[in-house]
Amino acid sequence: MTTTTTLTDRYVWAAIRSVPVAHRAELERELRERIGDEIDAAIEHGAGPADAERAALTGLGDPVALAAGYVDRPLQLIGPRYYLVWWRLLKLLLAVSLPFVALGVAIAQAVAGTNVGGIIGAAIGVTISAGVHICFWTTLAFAILERTPAPAGRRGVDLPWSLEMLPALPDPAKSSRLAELITSLVFLVVFAVALVWQQFGVPWVPELQGVPLLDPDLWSFWLPYFLGLIGLEMLFAVAVYAWGWSWGLAAVNLVLGVAFTVPALWLLLTGQLVSNEALEAMQWPWGDSAPIILAIVVVVTIAGAVWDVVDGAIKAYRARGARLTAAGAPA
Amino acid sequence: MSTDEITAGHLQELRRGTVVLACLVRLRTPDYGYALLESLNALGITVDANTLYPLLRRLEKQGLLTSEWNTDEARPRKFYRTSAEGEGLAAALTADWHLIDEALTRLTTGDEA
Repeated sequence: MTTTTTLTDRYVWAAIRSVPVAHRAELERELRERIGDEIDAAIEHGAGPADAERAALTGLGDPVALAAGYVDRPLQLIGPRYYLVWWRLLKLLLAVSLPFVALGVAIAQAVAGTNVGGIIGAAIGVTISAGVHICFWTTLAFAILERTPAPAGRRGVDLPWSLEMLPALPDPAKSSRLAELITSLVFLVVFAVALVWQQFGVPWVPELQGVPLLDPDLWSFWLPYFLGLIGLEMLFAVAVYAWGWSWGLAAVNLVLGVAFTVPALWLLLTGQLVSNEALEAMQWPWGDSAPIILAIVVVVTIAGAVWDVVDGAIKAYRARGARLTAAGAPA
Repeated sequence: MSTDEITAGHLQELRRGTVVLACLVRLRTPDYGYALLESLNALGITVDANTLYPLLRRLEKQGLLTSEWNTDEARPRKFYRTSAEGEGLAAALTADWHLIDEALTRLTTGDEA
């Protein structure tokens, strides 16, 4: 008889120790009632007491799962209540932080004079570690939230879905193209003003006050050329606003990109771009890091230009797809 | 997944709500878990013990059942009884049950007018 009581006792203990102390006494009584009734029923059907107990406890299954069912304890890390909020937040955090982490580490390593292999290795390592941290802490916060009681029928935190969260259609309506137009024009005006302004130095850096940043010889041809190009970019932005992206405009975008990037890089790499006074004032070159900083500038410039061209092509492709879709629907 | 499993899954879904209704009606007379299980199964309302016991607890938490420990016998037993709110829910569920029955009947006989 000692053994039989022990099995039930052990089962009940295994079950109740997984629930909060406040629930334990009640749960224990309920489980003992249920187990006792099931054993009695089995004995009535002719089983021996020991077999009856084993059968009854086996039928109850995993005690922790059983107890969880009794007290509504979640058996998943993050349930449907929070899953989508968790998933959206995690994607947002990773997308926003990781590029900056990678870039920051790369720049810091480059300035510290690490070689290219070391820079890439450090950037990858730190980015992975940052990603793991973001995933872990976000998930931990939601797992705790999942286990925090909220007022009945309410959620602890909420990021309610709304119509504004719907993704934009591939062919943006003219109103969203207007935002793109304004952004482009503002950027281009600022850029043009900066090109002229640099002639008079950088007022908030003492060493560069009154020192032209770009070589003044460039005013004979190249600076007017770039200012003219900025004017063309403005016209181009207006054209995109008026007609939407098309393969023709994507080609114009490519020509403009090449017309800007190639001379700019050529001037930079042949040492004609930055004025000697500015270089002296900045005490260039900065030790061993000079070639690396130059390489970063070149790579970022080329990557930016390539991305701009690819972006134009993608938008032209999508606009074509959207027009085909729209043609099939009643206007 | 075999056809049998799919059928079993759908039958379980279909019966889930009816177990609540059966408990609320049956517990107008107070009774304890195992006796309720036996009597429901005897009536042909098949329900698993692992479903029934947590269900009784949940219904009590929602105020649809009240409970009382009976310690007269050697084994203390928790007796459940349908509360006034439980009666209200039982009436609503029964009414809905009849509506669904009528709708399905019209649907299957094709008499949708």
